[in-house]
Amino acid sequence: MSLSEKKVKWVIDSKSSYFDLNIKELVSYHHLLLRLVKKEFLINYQQTLLGPLWVLFQPIVTTVTYVFVFNNVIGVSIGGNLPPVLFYFTGIVLWNFFNDSFSAASKIFRDNMHIFSKVYFPRLIVPFALIITQFLRFLIQLGLLIIILAYFMIFEGFKVTFTWYLVALPLVLFIVGMLSLSTGLLFSIVTAKYRDLTNFVDILIRVLLFITPVIYPLAAVKPQIRWVVQLNPLTPLFELFRLGLLGQGTISIPLLSYGIIFTLASLFAAILLFNKQGGKLIDVI
Amino acid sequence: MAETVIEVQNISKVYKLGQIGSGSLRRDLNNWWKTSVIKKDDPYFLSGNNAPASDYHLWALKDISFEVKQGDALGIIGSNGSGKSTLLKIISRIVKPTSGLVRGTGKVSSILEVGTGFHPELTGRENIYISGYTLGMTKSEIQRKFDEIVDFSGIEKFLDTPIKRYSSGMYVRLAFAVVAHLEPDILIVDEVLAVGDADFQKKCLGKMRDVSQKEGRTVLFVSHFMQAINNLCVNALWLKQGQLMEFGECSAVVNKYLSSVQKFNLKQSWDNIEEAPGNELIRFKKVEIVPQIENADGPLDIRVPLTIKFKFWNFTDDVSLAIGLHLFTYGGECIFDNQSPSAYYNKGLIEGECTIPGNFLNDGSYFISIIVNRDTSIELFYFEECMSFDLEDYRGEIKWYGKWMGAVRPRFPFHIEQTTFNLE
Repeated sequence: MSLSEKKVKWVIDSKSSYFDLNIKELVSYHHLLLRLVKKEFLINYQQTLLGPLWVLFQPIVTTVTYVFVFNNVIGVSIGGNLPPVLFYFTGIVLWNFFNDSFSAASKIFRDNMHIFSKVYFPRLIVPFALIITQFLRFLIQLGLLIIILAYFMIFEGFKVTFTWYLVALPLVLFIVGMLSLSTGLLFSIVTAKYRDLTNFVDILIRVLLFITPVIYPLAAVKPQIRWVVQLNPLTPLFELFRLGLLGQGTISIPLLSYGIIFTLASLFAAILLFNKQGGKLIDVI
Repeated sequence: MAETVIEVQNISKVYKLGQIGSGSLRRDLNNWWKTSVIKKDDPYFLSGNNAPASDYHLWALKDISFEVKQGDALGIIGSNGSGKSTLLKIISRIVKPTSGLVRGTGKVSSILEVGTGFHPELTGRENIYISGYTLGMTKSEIQRKFDEIVDFSGIEKFLDTPIKRYSSGMYVRLAFAVVAHLEPDILIVDEVLAVGDADFQKKCLGKMRDVSQKEGRTVLFVSHFMQAINNLCVNALWLKQGQLMEFGECSAVVNKYLSSVQKFNLKQSWDNIEEAPGNELIRFKKVEIVPQIENADGPLDIRVPLTIKFKFWNFTDDVSLAIGLHLFTYGGECIFDNQSPSAYYNKGLIEGECTIPGNFLNDGSYFISIIVNRDTSIELFYFEECMSFDLEDYRGEIKWYGKWMGAVRPRFPFHIEQTTFNLE
C-alpha cells in the first residue's frame, strides 16, 4: 500500500529552488531564534569581568583613538561646530553594527557546519538570530551615544535642532542591518565553497571602512573623487544617520534611493541564493 | 495493514571526489558556462544511472527504493561507507539526493549524534532548551518534559553549571535525555550506541524499544550492533556500497549480511607436493574448518561447533609425532594450545581432526596455527595462522547488549537453590 497523494506532508527531492521560502515553517521555529540570540549573549559574557560592558568598551576606545589620530594629529575637518567625540562615536557605532553583522554573517556556514550537518531546521533562522543579536548590541551602544549627546547638549552647550530626519533613523538602521546581512550571506556562500576568499572578505571590509564616511564627513571629500565614496551604498546611510542625530550630513534623494535599491537587490539575491545553495553546501564543506 | 509513512523512490547520491566542489573556481565557471549558458551536458557530471564509472564520482547511494510503514522499526545495516548515514541524512533533510524522491507524512526527528546544538559554555538548563529547539521541539513540549529530562539524566544538582564542567558521562546522559524525550512520528537514529558506557547503551536501547514498541512510533535505526538490531527491529535493510542488497524481515537480512561480511579463511589445500607449505620433513596438503551448522548460508555464531581438519605428508619413517592446535584472538592472545598425544607414524599422508565445541568461544575473530612436533618437544613445522574465522554473537532472549567479557564464553552448569526463607 503506497502513500496516497493526499497524505504526503513532505517531499524531499534533488531540486533546490530559488523560491522555496517556507514562511510558516520559519515562524514555527521562532523559539529557536530567540534562544540563539540569548545564547550569543550568554556565551560572550559568561566568565568575563565586565560582562556586557565590553559592548561599550570597544567603541569608547576606538573613539578616543580616532579623536586623537584624526582630529588632533592629522586634523581631519569634520565641519561645523560638531564636537569630534560625537562625530566619531556616531560613525563608529553604526560602522560596528554593519561590520559585526557582516563578518558574522559571512562566516555562517563555517561556524555552524557541525550543526547544519547533523540536524535539519530552516537555515535562515541562523542569520536572522545573528542580525537580531547584533542589533541588540547596537542598541546598547546607541544608548551610550544618546547619553553622550545629552551630556554635550546640557553641559557643553552643543545645540542640535532635531528635524524630521530623526524619524528616518529606524529606516537607516533597518537598511544597514539588511545590507550587512545580505552581503554577509552572499559571501558566506561563496567562501564556504572557495575558502581562500575569506582573506578577500577581510581586506574588503578594511577598504570599505575608508570609503565610508566614518572618520570624515562626505562634505569634506574633494568633489573630484567624491564619486568613489558615493559608490558605496553605505555612504547615504551614514550621512543620514548623522543628519538625524547630530543635524549634520549631506544627503540627496538619488543617493539614498541608490542605497535602498542596492540593499533590496542584495537581500533578494542573498535569500534566493541561500535557498538554492544552502542544501548543497553541506556536501562541499 | 499499517499505512506507509515514508516512501523512498530511486534515491541516488553522488559525491564528487577530490577537491572542494569540482575543484576550482575556474572549472566551476567553465562548468556553469557550459551547462547553464550554452546548454551542453555538464562535462564533469552526468546524472542518472547511465553515468560513466568515473574516478571523480562516488555513488554513496544508488537507486534505493523502499517503504516504511507506520509503527515499523527498520534497522539499516551495512559496513562502513555503505551509505547508511547518507540515507539517513537524506531522509532527515540534511543533504539533498542527487536524484530520486522521498515522500512522507508526519514529523521527523533525527538523532545523528548526541548533543547536537550543545554549547559548552552554557548551563545544563540553557542547553536543554537550545538543543530541544534545535531538534524541533516546541516550547510547551520542552516545558512539559523538562523535569522528566532532568530526572532521566540525573543531573539536577548541576542544572545551572556550564556543561563544560560536566564529566563526559554526564554530558552524554544529558544529551541523550533531551533526544529521548522528543515526540516525533518518525524517529531516525544513527549509531548513538557508539558512545557511552554499557549502562548508558542499555538505557538508550530500552528507551528506543519503548518508543517503537509501546508508543507505536516509526523508527529508523542504524547500528553496528547486530544483536541490538535483531532485538529492536521488525525489518532490516542492508546496504552495500550504496546499493540495496536486501530488504525484509530483520533476522533474515541480518543473517545474510553477517555471513557475507565474515572474513574467513576456512580452507586451504595444495595438490602439488612441491608447492605445499612445509619443509623436507612435513608438508601440508590441506587445512580446513568445517562448521557443524545446518544452514550453510547462516552466519557462524558462538553456538556452532567447529571441526578442524588437517592433512599432511610425512617424509620420515617411524617417527613419533604430536599435533598441536593453537587458537589465537585477532589481538594475538593465545586462547588455548591443544596437543594430541604422541604416536608413531610412517612415511605417507596423515589426516586428523579436532572439534572445538559450540557455546565455548566468545564472539570475535580468531585464527588457528598448527604445529607438528617430534618426540613431543622438537618442532618439525609450525604452520602459522593457516586458518581464520569470525564468530558472531548470539544471545537468544538475553536482552543485554554490552560486550560479553572474556576470551571464552563457556556454559558451565550452575546449581542454585534457595536454602532458607528468612533473613536471619
